[in-house]
Amino acid sequence: MRKPKLDFINFSVILSLLIIAGSWFYIIVGQNASLTALFTGKNLEYAAKFFKGLFGVGVEDPAFTNRDSWSSALSLTLDTLQMSIMAIGFATVTMFLTVIPATRTVANGSLTLSKKRYSWISYGLIRVSYVFSRAIPELVWAMVIIFIFKPGILPGAIALALHNFGILGKLCAEVIEDLDKRPARNLASSGASKWQILMYAVLPAVMPQYLTYILYRWEVIMRTTIVVGFVGAGGLGQQFKMSMSFFHYTDITLLLICYIVLVFIADYVSEKSRNFVK
Amino acid sequence: MSNPEILDINQISKHFERKVALSSLSFSVKKGERVALIGPSGAGKTTLLNILASVIEPDEGQVFLDGEPMQEYADRKKFAKKIGIIRQQFDLVGQLPVIHNVLAGKLADWGFAKSILSLLIPQEKEAAIRSLERVGLPDKVYERTANLSGGEQQRVALARLLVQSPQIVLADEPVASLDPARAEDVLFMLTKLAAEENQTLIASLHSIDYARKYFDRLIALKDGVLFFDLEADKVTDEQLKELYQLKELVR
Repeated sequence: MRKPKLDFINFSVILSLLIIAGSWFYIIVGQNASLTALFTGKNLEYAAKFFKGLFGVGVEDPAFTNRDSWSSALSLTLDTLQMSIMAIGFATVTMFLTVIPATRTVANGSLTLSKKRYSWISYGLIRVSYVFSRAIPELVWAMVIIFIFKPGILPGAIALALHNFGILGKLCAEVIEDLDKRPARNLASSGASKWQILMYAVLPAVMPQYLTYILYRWEVIMRTTIVVGFVGAGGLGQQFKMSMSFFHYTDITLLLICYIVLVFIADYVSEKSRNFVK
Repeated sequence: MSNPEILDINQISKHFERKVALSSLSFSVKKGERVALIGPSGAGKTTLLNILASVIEPDEGQVFLDGEPMQEYADRKKFAKKIGIIRQQFDLVGQLPVIHNVLAGKLADWGFAKSILSLLIPQEKEAAIRSLERVGLPDKVYERTANLSGGEQQRVALARLLVQSPQIVLADEPVASLDPARAEDVLFMLTKLAAEENQTLIASLHSIDYARKYFDRLIALKDGVLFFDLEADKVTDEQLKELYQLKELVR
């Protein structure tokens, strides 16, 4: 019989088993944690109560069969939709205004065959602003902005736009950097200006990918409205937090249904528009 | 002078790092001439064309374009009236319909507003359609450029040159990625249109046969220096053999 060797794979398997055993030993003995405490009758009771609440068992007039609740939830859904569209709109517009100077191949002149002295300065400034805006999470932006403005969907949209501006800017600048330079250069040498090159060579080539990024970020924004809603940015998120605090579980079910509807809308829109671009 | 010199290349040199791409190259081209640049790979043909296209600048020496030094043409719009370039077919914007790629030849004349408008409603459509007819693609006006074959794309590039209508056409390996039949077709059209438009044509080619067949004058480069500069029918097989063979001996 062959003697088992202690090669890399065997070693890492043994090491990970040891680490798992060690971790559990530490949790149970060192931290004195008990697994059975998690699965007590009490916790089960709470969970059952919560889920029964969600499905409206034993509740008189649950929200999801109530006409007024629906109409108010739908208007909140509309608010959320508005907030998400505003947010992606702001982010997209600012991205488009800044993405060209933020592209390395434009800054060093290799794409447009023209180089200005201030190219690298604007490149650096915009890239730093991208990093800054996406390094700060939406929630923090929302807290800061709602601190300044009064709560509502506009501050929420601005907060979401600020975070997504950096993400879109970085992604879209990279798309241009990865472009085939030959068509753009050829236009440059047939006398096209920087902006004409942008419209004729860059935009048509990057559009499908931009659309994918923008629609994807839109979908993410839609879901993130719930997070900024928690700190008072309006829409479904704010209502969600309130219903949670008042133990109106059937309201929560209703709001979750609304969210699912929103994501379906986003899916449908992105599918259709991607077909259109192709 | 009935045939003035339109291009005068005076002692130009170019180095990349330590490699010599061109050294003290001089020649001049008369208006209406059809010149083929030949020579083994790495001889400096593309470097020379890039210098003529003002994509790169020579380290030493000067290029005179229509009697004026190249630096006088810093304005790209002015330059585009003098020199037009055709490379391999990858230079078209594949996602755009054919007509916009053809009309791109007009961008030097158009302002920004007009070029945007043209993407929605093609401007000066007749000029584009006329030049597409001349290259034999009248039925592909609104086709997506990427859906065309390599030879057809190269004809679109020719139609763009017709719209741009420069005095000198530079062609960098215009048929390198085409099969022999398409290559002949494109070269025939390129030389024919240049003759019709009374343009000067400078093309780099890999194929000696095509160079002899379609061009008046052959300029051979080897290791960045002029190897010979002769009328097409005066080039001997011996010279060609030497041009390509010596390179292998060096290796």
